[in-house]
Amino acid sequence: MGLSAVAGLALVLYAVFLVLPVLLSLETSFTNQNILFPGSKFVGLANYARLLHDSSFFSSIEFTLGLAAGATIAANVIGLCLALLLNRTGLSYRILRTLAFLPQVISGIIVGFVWSWMLSPTGLVNSLLTGTGLVSQPVNWLGEPRLATLSVGVVVSWVLSGFTTVVYLAALQNIPRELYEASSIDGASSRQQFRLITFRMVAPATTISVVISLITVLKLYDIITAMTNGGPGFATRSVAMYIISVGFSDDAYGYASSIAMVLLVLTGVLALSVTAVLRRREVSL
Amino acid sequence: MMYRRCLAAAVTAGLLLLAACSSSPAQSSAGGSSGTTLTYLTFLSPDLTAQFWAKSIAAAEKSVPGVTIKQDVSPTTDRDTYAKQLLQAGEFPDLLESITPSLYTSAGLLTPYSASWIKANFILPNDIKGEDYIPPTNSQIIPLVYYNKALFARAGVTPPATWAEFMADCAKLKQRGIVPIELGGHDSFAAAMPLTGALSADVLGSDPGWIQQRYAGTVKFTDPDVVAAATKMRTLVTDGYFEPDALSVSYAQSITNFNDGKAAMYPMGSWYLGSIPKSEWSNIGVFPWPTNNGSLVIPFSLGGSMAVSSKAPDQAAAFKFAESWSLNPDNLKSLISGDGAFPMLKGRSLASYGLSLSPAFHSSYSYVTSKNTKVSSMSWATNDDAFPGNMTDEFDAAAQSLFSSSNVRGVMQQLDQDWTDATASS
Repeated sequence: MGLSAVAGLALVLYAVFLVLPVLLSLETSFTNQNILFPGSKFVGLANYARLLHDSSFFSSIEFTLGLAAGATIAANVIGLCLALLLNRTGLSYRILRTLAFLPQVISGIIVGFVWSWMLSPTGLVNSLLTGTGLVSQPVNWLGEPRLATLSVGVVVSWVLSGFTTVVYLAALQNIPRELYEASSIDGASSRQQFRLITFRMVAPATTISVVISLITVLKLYDIITAMTNGGPGFATRSVAMYIISVGFSDDAYGYASSIAMVLLVLTGVLALSVTAVLRRREVSL
Repeated sequence: MMYRRCLAAAVTAGLLLLAACSSSPAQSSAGGSSGTTLTYLTFLSPDLTAQFWAKSIAAAEKSVPGVTIKQDVSPTTDRDTYAKQLLQAGEFPDLLESITPSLYTSAGLLTPYSASWIKANFILPNDIKGEDYIPPTNSQIIPLVYYNKALFARAGVTPPATWAEFMADCAKLKQRGIVPIELGGHDSFAAAMPLTGALSADVLGSDPGWIQQRYAGTVKFTDPDVVAAATKMRTLVTDGYFEPDALSVSYAQSITNFNDGKAAMYPMGSWYLGSIPKSEWSNIGVFPWPTNNGSLVIPFSLGGSMAVSSKAPDQAAAFKFAESWSLNPDNLKSLISGDGAFPMLKGRSLASYGLSLSPAFHSSYSYVTSKNTKVSSMSWATNDDAFPGNMTDEFDAAAQSLFSSSNVRGVMQQLDQDWTDATASS
């Protein structure tokens, strides 16, 4: 009975907090609901048709997809490298593993504000660059559109790497040592061991890590808002930020819901596609 | 059997959850002042601290015995977005501090103040379709151009009256190795100050009804006069007259930079007056944004305090509290000294507040009191000339875009599209 109650509660929570809001949002996306006025009218696919001509929507999609691709790849490469380096016993390595996870436990808003200061003309990064003579003038990290995009990408990759490192560490620790021992006897080099054993055996972790990283970045809001607020000139405005702007500044709740639905479908399609592709790599012993 | 148990558990859990999650109505009693709680949306700033609000609310509560004011502090200074989120959650505040009333009036969410009370107490009304939804207790000029007298003297320049003189001053300052203009463009509203200045002076200076005509669709941001005014901002960028990495410098840092003498001029709303350190009082001067022909055009914005929700349960008590708070001279003193607000109460001179204010404040205030051409500050007005929807954000972003885009007409074209989208949603 205890187990049934837990399962039942989980089902209810899932339905109430996940399924129901999505269904309500879908319903709203077919209306002209304005948050200032009660009541709304069914407008069919008008909101979705409007999306096709919305250049701001396409700009935000382009930025979000670029960020998702770049940050996912970077975070997973960094995560695997860090996991390989930290996959050793000893107190110092345990401390380092804890520190590697630190970016994940800090609030996104705080991450954004701190990096916003660090990347300012008088911030830590520019002070180090000018102090060491690497550059003669502070770099315009957050003021130039491409550099601002790069800066956001680096920070998001850094945050995600905390998660990916932990995932890859767990995977590395589950690889049977006998595989390495046997390959050593057969004369395999460390590079061959990595390519033919390590990289293949962490494939399931890669699937999880890549898909979750992708989903996380596609719906990102807090870090970007705190770092750049979507600027300069909306160059770093994500889809999630655009949804908030349309819904709560333009008051076009119905239209905002349609953008949210598109983001949901896009996220689902990308997540499922990437999962399908990566699962083919997975090896079972 | 297992399935039935699971289903029974799910139904029980669901009923419990729905009971726990069902929203309760606002904890204020309907009808009668006794025991009424009114929610009050406020916000925090360096001058409007938690202590300020506690003190000012307590003072005004004395005028409404039996009424309790419950503060709801906005997590950011964007009160409007927060107010709309509360509206969506069914918790629209009864009293709202310094919001943009035009965003709510078409939906009937605010109750106007009595016209006779406005006329009796304030120098100017701040109408939206003939009604005042916030008491016009203070005003701002957005922007003025503050300048460092010592740096001007070093470069041998004087405060300009015309655009040509302004550009010549900038060139001379730059030649002397002095940064002509501090911007603080990382915060988009600060980035837009020169654009606001240029469009207010040139476009609204020639045609004060331009914003109403934009609503009517008879003018556009792509009209030649508007593009010409916006091109001034682009010219300032290409000529290198802003501080290096202007879009990376935060608004807070820009105040520090200008106060530390790192730039000669600082276009900013008159609230900057509250940030001039006493040590710099004699060194900071002010002049209005220069026009093409040197005529004086003042981009003016009437502001105020509290709006009253039409859904507030006790309208009489809400207005009594709001009126008491708005007319309390101690509250205005904080706004004057900390926020550079120009008081607009009838029958009270600036001197009557007993404050020691900088020469720059007195110079700026003289533009309010003297007869000159006052126009709405482009994108800052809170009356009928207020921008629709999120147009202010789009306008500010357009200013930032002019740093990377040489296509001024294209940027203005996007503003026209944004205006169409914003007015379509209203």
